[in-house]
Amino acid sequence: MSWRQRLVPYWLLGPGLLWLLLFFVVPMFFMGELALYSGSLTTGGLEFTWAWANFPDSLSGNEEQILRSFFYAGTATVLALLIGYPLAYAIAFRAGRFKLLLLFAVVAPFFTTYLIRTIAWKTILSDDSPLVSVLQTLSLTPAEGRVLATSGAVIAGLTYNFLPFMVLPLYANLERLDLRLIEAAKDLYASSRVAFLKVTLPLTMPGIVAGVLLTFIPAFGDYINAQLLGGTGQAMIGNVIQSLYLTQRDYPEAAALSFLMMALILAVVLIYLRFAGTEAFMGDADEQEA
Amino acid sequence: MAPEKIKPGTAWMRVTAALAVLALTLGLAACGGGGGGGEDTGEATIAEAGPAKGELVFSNWPGYIDPGKEGTVAEFEEKTDVKVDYIEDINSNDGFFGKLQPQLAQGESGERSLFVVADYMAEQMHDLGYLQEIEREDLPTVFETLRSDLQSPAFDPERKFSVPWQGGMTGIWVDTSKAPDIKSVNDLFDPKYKGKVTMLDELRETPALVMLAEGVDPAEASAEEWLTAIEKLDAAADSGQIRKFTGNDYTEDLTAGNIVAAIGWSGDASLIENPDAEWRMPTEGCTQWMENMVIPVGAPNTAAAIEFMNFVYQPNVAADITEWVEYISPVEGVKPILEKRGSELAESEIVFPTEEFTRDCTGQITPPDYERVNEAWQNVLTG
Repeated sequence: MSWRQRLVPYWLLGPGLLWLLLFFVVPMFFMGELALYSGSLTTGGLEFTWAWANFPDSLSGNEEQILRSFFYAGTATVLALLIGYPLAYAIAFRAGRFKLLLLFAVVAPFFTTYLIRTIAWKTILSDDSPLVSVLQTLSLTPAEGRVLATSGAVIAGLTYNFLPFMVLPLYANLERLDLRLIEAAKDLYASSRVAFLKVTLPLTMPGIVAGVLLTFIPAFGDYINAQLLGGTGQAMIGNVIQSLYLTQRDYPEAAALSFLMMALILAVVLIYLRFAGTEAFMGDADEQEA
Repeated sequence: MAPEKIKPGTAWMRVTAALAVLALTLGLAACGGGGGGGEDTGEATIAEAGPAKGELVFSNWPGYIDPGKEGTVAEFEEKTDVKVDYIEDINSNDGFFGKLQPQLAQGESGERSLFVVADYMAEQMHDLGYLQEIEREDLPTVFETLRSDLQSPAFDPERKFSVPWQGGMTGIWVDTSKAPDIKSVNDLFDPKYKGKVTMLDELRETPALVMLAEGVDPAEASAEEWLTAIEKLDAAADSGQIRKFTGNDYTEDLTAGNIVAAIGWSGDASLIENPDAEWRMPTEGCTQWMENMVIPVGAPNTAAAIEFMNFVYQPNVAADITEWVEYISPVEGVKPILEKRGSELAESEIVFPTEEFTRDCTGQITPPDYERVNEAWQNVLTG
């Protein structure tokens, strides 16, 4: 193979790489630089001083919000998986001629902006709304008899907003599932449950892993749901970063905290992939080795 | 043909190395140009006056002018050759500053020639060299009808860079059908209203009102006294007494019946669709504020901005605005016009407060040791 041919993959990668370079690497570089500034914007401006102390400073006092973000995003991801998997399964195998319509229904909320959708939930969950009255009658609301401005509302908002990110990869994966494998399992006297656990579930792991990542990562950094649906004591780490950037204008500390959160998420994702197995994410291991 | 295997390790490393070099070069090149900001010094620019024409971009807070075909903006466009791009993109002083600061530091205003901010923010922006000064003789109508008590505030004694837009008071909004007996900020801490109370997320409002209720004058208070008030709020937030810290959105909670009372702004009646909602002056007093039109550095059309300032200082135009926004007008002679029009607002103490009514009120105070106090407050908000 000539060197020209060998360059082809890089040419194909080119536009993507350029995009990443301009809109990811370069901004990351500036943010990394900003994290090492010190000083204040309101008094005399910022100065580059290799201020490594910004990193530990940005963490102190925010441990609770970080743990809370893990808890909220984690719960929302699990809920999205529990809701999303049966939904994707039903669309892939049981929907018949309604398949397209149902898929459209999953994506339809995206025709409205994220913000408006979340604000709509404020109305749905407000204290005197019919939904909340029903929940109150069933004693399903927390002690104060409300839903809005509780952690439940934030988690529900996250689950709702990121559900399509879970459903779509799961659907794409289930859709390609070779049903003959399930038939074969049943021929070998597997019950439906065993066939699901031993055949369907392992084969749809790539979809689950992709869905979990696509849901958990944005949910962890989200601040809109906590801001609109949450109350006091329900801020997530995204709200802290927003406050540091826009209200306190402590750009260096905000940049440092953003960096640490990215590193933390990266570490969590790597551990998760290690645990779930990269093959599960990238596809069949045998295929890659061929 | 069997595809030749690409060795992922080495190829990837080469690409990464190339990227790193490129990123570094770009980064270094860009660094030469930009700075950290806030380095402006020297003389302030004087805003150029002259015949008003072209386009005027005006940023304001939501619901802060009479809208529509008969509104002030439309009237101004009709009387002059100026086309106004009126945008409502200011939701908080700090947020707006945070959004615009990087541009202002570069001497740009994002096409805006006029916007409205509170006294303390106008002062801060002026100190950083982000605002243009306006010659007194270019503002004949403004200085003819500006209320005498607003002619020389401490932060801008000669009104060189700020022209008042509207003012107001911060006190308590009460849903009288659910909590008729709330009269003081202290009542908001009553456990029987647990989870049914919201407060503003503004440092110069909520902690200041809590101090007033405790008998401390915010204007004289030490950093420790500010922190004590902030701690009290923190405890109330932790216990669930305070449902939420809000911006303008407390008006939605009052409309929806989610809360029985809130710390809020005196002129927001038009935003609250709840017939039982009523603004009350706390028994211990309120905070009072004034917001100002300012012209930023890099404003493309200062002449039109100056013309607009003069335009809204005609008492008739000011009366139109007052009738719609229900805040306190800085323009002399609005009250008799509203009386003549038979408007109920002419009798309102909230729109035309007497000195007796605001006797115990204080201005918007910036606390001593600002950064530390503000950080403590922000930690309560994101608790």
